[in-house]
Formats: sequence, structure tokens, C-alpha cells
Amino acid sequence: MLYNTKKPRFILGTRDLKLKKEEFDAVIVGAGLSGLRAALELSTKWKVAVISKVHPVRSHSGAAQGGINAALGNTEEGKDDSPEKHAYDTIYGSDFLADQDAAYFMCKEAPKIVVELESMGAPFSRLKSGLIAQRPFGGAGFPRTCYAGDRTGHSLLNTMYEQCIREGVKFFDEHFLIDLIKVEGRITGILTIDIAIGRLVVFRTPYVVLATGGFGRIYKRSTNAIINTGDGVGAAFRAGVPMQDCEFVQFHPTTLYGSNILITEGARGEGGLLFNKNHERFMSKVAPSAEELAPRDIVARAIEREVREGRGFEGGYVHLDLTHLGAERIKERLPGIREICIYFAGLDPIEEPIPVQPAQHYSMGGIASKIDGDFCETPLQGLYAIGETSCISVHGANRLGGNSLLETAVFGRFVAKMLLEKGKQVILESDDLRKAEIQIIEETELLFSQWHSNQGKTPAVIREEMGDILDSKVGVYRKRKELEDAYKSIIKLQEEFNEVHIETKKRQFNYGLIRTLELRNMLDIGEVTTYAALWRKESRGAHYSLDYTRRNDKDFLVHSLVFRTKDGLKLETKSVKTGMFEIKERVY
Amino acid sequence: MADMQTFLIYRKSPDDKEPRYERFEIPVTKGMSVLDALFYIQDHLDSSLAFRYSCRGAICGSCSMTIDQVPMLACRTQVSSVKTTKKPPKLPKFDFGKNPEWKKENEILIEPLPNMKNRKDLVVDMKPFWRFYKEIRPFFTKKWKENQPEKKQKIKEINAIEHLVYCILCGLCWSCPINAKNEHYLGPAQLAKSFRFISDSRVTSKPRNAILERVSKDDAVPACKQYFVCNRVCPKGVRPGTAIKHIRDKWMEDEK
Ligand SMILES: Cc1cc2nc3c(=O)[nH]c(=O)nc-3n(C[C@H](O)[C@H](O)[C@H](O)COP(=O)(O)OP(=O)(O)OC[C@H]3O[C@@H](n4cnc5c(N)ncnc54)[C@H](O)[C@@H]3O)c2cc1C
Ligand code: SF4
Ligand code: FES
Repeated sequence: MLYNTKKPRFILGTRDLKLKKEEFDAVIVGAGLSGLRAALELSTKWKVAVISKVHPVRSHSGAAQGGINAALGNTEEGKDDSPEKHAYDTIYGSDFLADQDAAYFMCKEAPKIVVELESMGAPFSRLKSGLIAQRPFGGAGFPRTCYAGDRTGHSLLNTMYEQCIREGVKFFDEHFLIDLIKVEGRITGILTIDIAIGRLVVFRTPYVVLATGGFGRIYKRSTNAIINTGDGVGAAFRAGVPMQDCEFVQFHPTTLYGSNILITEGARGEGGLLFNKNHERFMSKVAPSAEELAPRDIVARAIEREVREGRGFEGGYVHLDLTHLGAERIKERLPGIREICIYFAGLDPIEEPIPVQPAQHYSMGGIASKIDGDFCETPLQGLYAIGETSCISVHGANRLGGNSLLETAVFGRFVAKMLLEKGKQVILESDDLRKAEIQIIEETELLFSQWHSNQGKTPAVIREEMGDILDSKVGVYRKRKELEDAYKSIIKLQEEFNEVHIETKKRQFNYGLIRTLELRNMLDIGEVTTYAALWRKESRGAHYSLDYTRRNDKDFLVHSLVFRTKDGLKLETKSVKTGMFEIKERVY
Repeated sequence: MADMQTFLIYRKSPDDKEPRYERFEIPVTKGMSVLDALFYIQDHLDSSLAFRYSCRGAICGSCSMTIDQVPMLACRTQVSSVKTTKKPPKLPKFDFGKNPEWKKENEILIEPLPNMKNRKDLVVDMKPFWRFYKEIRPFFTKKWKENQPEKKQKIKEINAIEHLVYCILCGLCWSCPINAKNEHYLGPAQLAKSFRFISDSRVTSKPRNAILERVSKDDAVPACKQYFVCNRVCPKGVRPGTAIKHIRDKWMEDEK
């Protein structure tokens, strides 16, 4: 670790930098489930630093409710389940865009990973037999989702953190990753800002693992935590690493109007009904047999259509009505949902219908993995990515519920074992290295002072506009014309961002500054998402185009990789790893 | 026109000797939480207003603060219901070092968590909270092996700890009067966490005894005077006070 011992605002030139130095064998950025799992393994043998912009237990992994998939076959209905079947469901659900070797590896590891979590103390719900309970989940052939009440993510995140405490993992909480530092095409460290005191801090290391989570907040309507802003993706992108498959964004059909907190499928499972403003049950038209219980993407598109065609309520929502279920049933079966409605919308679902709308839920895309590299390896030497921020790709064009918690633990463990096998590396002190470190500090200081003296819009205004554009034009339905408009608008916002104004002189707990750094990352991701969506002239998984309503394997059974060049964005493709399972049409 | 609401907010920079209270008028929209209101201020009125946040869904424990003199999660509190919701009974008076001059009827008063050092505005120093958390050794100590078979636990046994597991480590329960007086007191959340491990049927006697030994010291279970403020302010139904009572009644018999 390296930091300026003076207050940052006095930095004028290299002469004023007195650098104190501490180095790590590896640095993990992100303390969600994926980062913690990697840290736990790596810290047994190496000197590791874990950087997180919030305290680890505040990470977004804690919000996951439903559960984690593994073919344990614990229930009667699930006894014929197997990792192969799990892999097939995953690949089928991905609309065949997942890399089959990665998906298969994940599903094969799954039972071991869940048993391991249990051994760490995870409080899983149980069956009568005493084995871990499993529930059915969308897109899965068997009850395969292991859960801990309706707070699986919270329970697993806490368990993993507890184990990291036991292992003595070294945490740097409330440190924010700004940029990656590289010399001659290889990672040498990262630049962070210590949020509490506002000082820039450099961590020197030959291995960086990015575990910075999802980036749903590029949309205004998202079920994600406010901190899910894709900072790892942004930093990697600026360092020349492409973003992969960013056009694939999962939308959840029923989120609470206003805060977009998730209202689980359970509400419809118990008999909740969807109505438009004319009190019509539009799902009976769209999916006559499954009705309200049709797959997520179909319900999301149906709701969106009602709203677009003027049959939604003002503000853009429909009603999810539970009132006919009666007070007793709601209290007994859906207490969590009732609580959410009362505390977050100020209404009681026993008395009134719940206003719901689709919202961004999961980012399938992310930091590209290296062509023909190991899982988690990026094209930048020394840089690895795991968890939602990465695109390994196990989810392809559409993620199955319960597979992302699994992904975090599987690849967190995997990347750590791989690094231990590769062995420690040293970074030699050199002029180039010092130059690179000092340069990035100076550039960042310059940027901060520019932001301070700029006269343009505030970050909040730009962020709102970006969110509106993505919600309305890069959402559940995509149209070429709208995507083109959206792309132009985002380019304009990028220009406006160059003039963004925010107070940066006082650095302690300056969340205004932190949120501006986040916005810089989100604008890049928003731009790439729109760009890749424009390129993909087909409908696959979560990407639904009104101009090209069919899947087109001939031209588009490939991953997209987007880079920034001098002349703007550039898109390349990468082949999908296939060969284990036959490619078919995805129908449910 | 949206309704306007005045917020009276505790402000303090690290360099300030004394806190001050500042008024902000903001337009209230339907469904707006206190956290949303703070973001409105940060976004549009004063970008330097500091407060912690993450999930905005009452699951991460970041946004604990004192709202109208009640310790609460800002994201889980609707602006429109602050004045109408019944307050938990018998809460202590919290003193933040200055009289806010608060117009109680129509202003919403926002102050940091009590009994923790202030860092800036609504951000407090949680370091002691985490230090005490670690002190109770809140973890399984067993090593696991590759490819071991799944272990069992009875439904009854897991249900016994379920409400304890729900703790989001938000620190609201540190508004306990014992925390106010005794800075060495381990705290309700920490003792509830210790009970989560003590009463987990999978924990063996050695680590259990280690935890018990730690929480039997003067600054832990014996320090609790059963005010049960923690039970009343906890947003997750963890009932730390009840947990402490259980430790005392069931597990510390020898000590009595
Ligand atoms: C409401 C909801 C419910 C869900 N339910 C399920 C479910 O039931 N099953 C399932 O499998 N999946 C579910 N998911 C998805 C799943 O929760 C996530 O994909 C997964 O938890 C991501 O874990 P992660 O480790 O990649 O990242 P996160 O847990 O998001 O952690 C990211 C970490 O990176 C850190 N970080 C980010 N930026 C920076 C920076 N600039 N500097 C320093 N640190 C930084 C953060 O502090 C944090 O510690 C759900 C998601 C949502 C939104
Ligand atoms: S016991 Fe309740 S109040 Fe205390 S930290 Fe846990 S959730 Fe918060
Ligand atoms: S922001 Fe997570 S609990 Fe309020």
C-alpha cells in the first residue's frame, strides 16, 4: 500500500509525494460473496488485502432471497437430479449463449460448494430428514434451490464473513477503487480513495481480483442496491479490458413501484393477479394457460406492453392484487411481502393492490474473460474477475434464479486455488512503476479539481437522465430506432459529464465525489450496453428486439466484446464454447 | 405541487468542535423514504451531507440513524409516516451535545446513532461495534474437507436460531442505556450473535465454552440491566435482550 502522507489537496507535483509503501501478494476488490470466498482461500497462504467501498456485510449479496442451486437431490421429487441436468437447464435457460464448459464446471462444483457452506455454519432451512431443504425455481427441472428462509444471501454473506474473521483476513473497508494501474501490459496495483479521510491510496500487487458486483444502477428502475454501479467494470474498461455481453440485462416483472424493491414470484404463486388500469387481467390474453405464472421475461414484457399501450396507471405500473386472498392467508403465507409493502410503499396488500412494474434485476454481462484463458482470467495480465461483475460466461443471455449465488462461491474458490497454483509473483521497483503510480495520482487529482471548478450540470442530473434513457429505450423491449436515440443521448451525456460540477475540496466522507466516480463508470457501461444491443440483430434470452423477433444462431451465437478505441467503441465477437449439449430452440 | 417537508438535520464536520442543526425543505413524493429524502438533499441541495447507505431495502444495516428521537433505519421509514406511526415505548433520551431547537409538530428531526462517536454528519464510528463483534468469536471453528457428506440438522434446531440469524448488524440496539454509560459493554447485537452460536446445535462444546466464557465477563451479559430497549428498536425481530436473558438463565447457571 502506498499513500501520500500529506493531505491530497496539497499535491502539486511529484516532488510533494512522500510515498509510504506496503505490498500485497494479491488484492481482492469487493467483499460480497465472491470476493469473500476468494479471500478466505487465498489468505490461508498469502498476504491479501480485501478492498470494499462498504463494510463487507453491507454488500449486495446480502439482498438475495430465493436461494442457491445445487443438484443435491434431497427431496423426493428431486432424487433423480444430477449436475448434468443442472448444467443442461442452465445452458437451455441461457438461450445457448453460456459457455458450456464453464456452466458444466459450475454445476458439477455446486453440491460440494453448498455442503461446504453448511460446514462453515450457514443456517440452511431443513427437510424433515434433516437434510438441506430445496425448493423449485423457474427454469429448473427439479427442486434444486437450497435456501435459508427468505434471506439466503444474507445468511451466506454473514457466514462467509464470519469465516474470514476466523481466518484473519485483512480488510480495507470504505476504500473505493478508482482505477487499475498497469505497466507494460501487466497489472501492478490499484488506486483507491479512503472514503473516511479522503486520501488517495495505492495498493501495489501483481494480482488483482475484481469482485465488484452488478451494475443495475445504470437503470433508474432496478432491484439492485444503490451501490451496484459497476466500478470494477469501469476501471477494467478504462484499462483496455473489453466488456462482454452487456446487452443482456435481466428484468424482473414485479418490483414495487417507487423503490423497485423486489416482490417475489411467491406473490403470484400464492394466487396474486395482475390487472391493468381498466381492471383487465391481461395475462390471460398473453399466456392463456400459465397466466400470471408464465416465465419472468414473458410477464415482464406483458406488463411493459400494457404500460406502453396506455393501459397502465399513471407513472407506468400495473396492479398486483392480493386482496382476494384474504387477511389470514396473506399474513400466514406472504408476511415478507406485506412488510415490504407497508414499510416501503405505505400500503397494506390486505386492503389495496400493490403497484408493480418491471425493473432491471441482474447483469449477465461484465468484464470479459480471456479467449481460451482459464475461467475468470481477463485479457489483462494479472487481472481476474469473479461474481456478477464478471462474464465467465455461465448465464449466457439469461440467468436462472439461484445460479448467481452459486457462481459467486464456485468461482471465488476457483480463482483463489488457481492463483495459489500459479504462485506468488514479485513486482520489481522500477522507474516505470513509480512513474505509473505517480501519474495516476496526479491525473486523478487533476480530475477532481476540474470537477470542482467546472460549471456544468450536477452528477445527479446526469444520472437521472441516464437512468431514464436506459429505462425507456434499452429496456424489456428494444427497437432499433429507440436504441439509436438512446445511444445519441448517452454520448451527449458523456460530453456533459466532462463539464460535471461537484464540490471536491473537502474530502472526508465526500459521498458527492464518490457518486460522481460511480457515475463515470455507469456512463461507460450504459454506452456499451446500448451499443451492443444495437449490434445484436436478433432476440435471445433477455434481449428482446421488436425489429428482429427471432433468435439467429447463424450470425449471433457469439459473445460480444466491446472496446474503447480512439475513434469510439469497437465490437468484436468471441465464439461460444459448445459441444456438450445440443443447441435447440428455447421454449417453455 | 408536491407537499414540502422540513427536515432538521444534525451536521458536524470532522474539524468542527460543535455540531449544528440545519433545516432543509424538500418536496415529498409518494412512497418517499427518509433515505430518499436525504439523497434528495445530497443530490440537489448540499452534496456534502454524509450518511451511509447500500441496499435501500432494510437488509444491509447501513442507514441506521435517529429519526424524531427514535433509532430507526432510514430506508425503511416512510416520510409520510414519521409523524403518524406509534413510537416504541420507554426509549431513553438521546443527547447529541446541542439543543436542536426542533419544532416537533411539523419538522422531521434527523440525528446520528447515539452512543457512538461521530465522524461526520450522520456517519458514526462503528469500529468499537466491529471490535466487540469479533471478540465473541462469531464463527464455526471446524475445518471442512473436500467431498465430505452433507451433515444434518433438525428443523426444530434450525428454527431455534432463525430469528437470531436475521440480525443485520445495524447497531440500532446500541441505543441501549448501558451502551451510553459503559463504553466497554459488548452490546446487545454482539451478545445476540453470541447466542446465535451458543444455541446452534452444530456447535461443539469447546467453541461454545469459549464464547460463554467471554460473554460471562462483567462487560457482557452481567452488565445487562434488562431495559429491553434493544428489543423495541430492533428492525428485524432479533430480540437481543431476550437472548441475553436466555444466556444468563440457561447457560450461565454455574456463575449464579
Ligand atoms: C433483490 C435481489 C435478489 C436476488 N436473489 C438471488 C437469489 O435468490 N439467488 C441467486 O443466486 N442470486 C440472487 N440475486 C443475485 C445475487 O445476489 C448477486 O448476483 C450476487 O450476490 C453478487 O455477488 P458478488 O460477490 O458478485 O457482488 P456483491 O455482493 O454485489 O459485492 C460487491 C462488492 O464489491 C464492492 N465494491 C463495488 N465497487 C467497489 C469499488 N469501487 N471499490 C471498492 N469496492 C467496491 C462492494 O463494496 C461489495 O463488497 C439477487 C439479486 C437481487 C438484486
Ligand atoms: S440485533 Fe437488531 S438492532 Fe441490533 S444490530 Fe441486530 S438487527 Fe440491528
Ligand atoms: S440502506 Fe440497507 S438497511 Fe437501509
